[in-house]
Amino acid sequence: MASDAEEKIESYLKRMQAGLRGLPSEESREIVTELRSHITEKAAAGGEMTVAAVEAALAGLGSPEELSNEYLTDQLLARAEVSRSPARVLASLLRWSSLSAAGFFVLLGSVVGYFVGSAFVLCALLKPFHPRAAGLWLLPTGGADYELSLRLGFAGAPEGGRELLGWWIVPIGLGVGCLLVVVTTRVALWCGRQYRRSRALPRG
Amino acid sequence: MRDGITTDAENTDKWEVQLRKGCLELAILAALWGGKRYGLEILQRLESDSDLIVSEGTVYPLLTRLKSLGLVKSEWVEPESGHPRKYYALTPGGKKRALEMAAIWARFSTSMSRLLAPLAEGK
Repeated sequence: MASDAEEKIESYLKRMQAGLRGLPSEESREIVTELRSHITEKAAAGGEMTVAAVEAALAGLGSPEELSNEYLTDQLLARAEVSRSPARVLASLLRWSSLSAAGFFVLLGSVVGYFVGSAFVLCALLKPFHPRAAGLWLLPTGGADYELSLRLGFAGAPEGGRELLGWWIVPIGLGVGCLLVVVTTRVALWCGRQYRRSRALPRG
Repeated sequence: MRDGITTDAENTDKWEVQLRKGCLELAILAALWGGKRYGLEILQRLESDSDLIVSEGTVYPLLTRLKSLGLVKSEWVEPESGHPRKYYALTPGGKKRALEMAAIWARFSTSMSRLLAPLAEGK
């Protein structure tokens, strides 16, 4: 009898573990151990652990897929909020984007934000090494059209273009770049909080 | 899409669930005020000391989140028989947060009760 009940617990925990992929293995192991203790203690509260008691305990926790999702988004977003590092933010957005379309668009926006931000910073840092080529350039694209181009200067000075900022790219690049990274982080975390709040509401 | 009484009753239910979820963080911090407890104890306390009927599937992830926010800390305790238990306790930051939330709650519920007083009289 007991083995049937135990089998039920283990199969629940296996699905739980599969759902927790994406968390560090140490953390997911802790979660599973805690849940195993909870289920066994709850199911054995009336003496012998029966299949019915196990099923009741599992029902209290909800489906392993839903429960692991709850852990993952909470966990990743919370850690991103504590550290506020772009790597953490992106990791949690990556996970979130696999759960919902909203997450995907926030991820996309954040990647663009971080990319452009770091390009500005990089450009500012490379200016002393490529004084004639790094900077913000206005380039002819044929006809009367021009495009703005941020060049790091590895390919030399573009022909026919005009550099707009000169040495101002150093303070402006650092300022704009850092601002973009900070704003991107803030906006992404704000979106995450809104998402969590909306999910905290009852569904259906 | 309103069809009378059913929808209204459902909306009231939803509102109640929202209200409970909103209070859950404070309720958990309060349940830990007296000292360390493990998950099942916290749940039992929430059920006995309050009519906060909460799903267990909400409390465990929330505990983990409170831990990563630094409001609670945890330690594993191996009992003489049975499975290891994960005990949670408030950190100094968690105590501070609980006191702040409790103060907000007290203000909120006082003004709410004042507002609701006429409703109770006019039964």
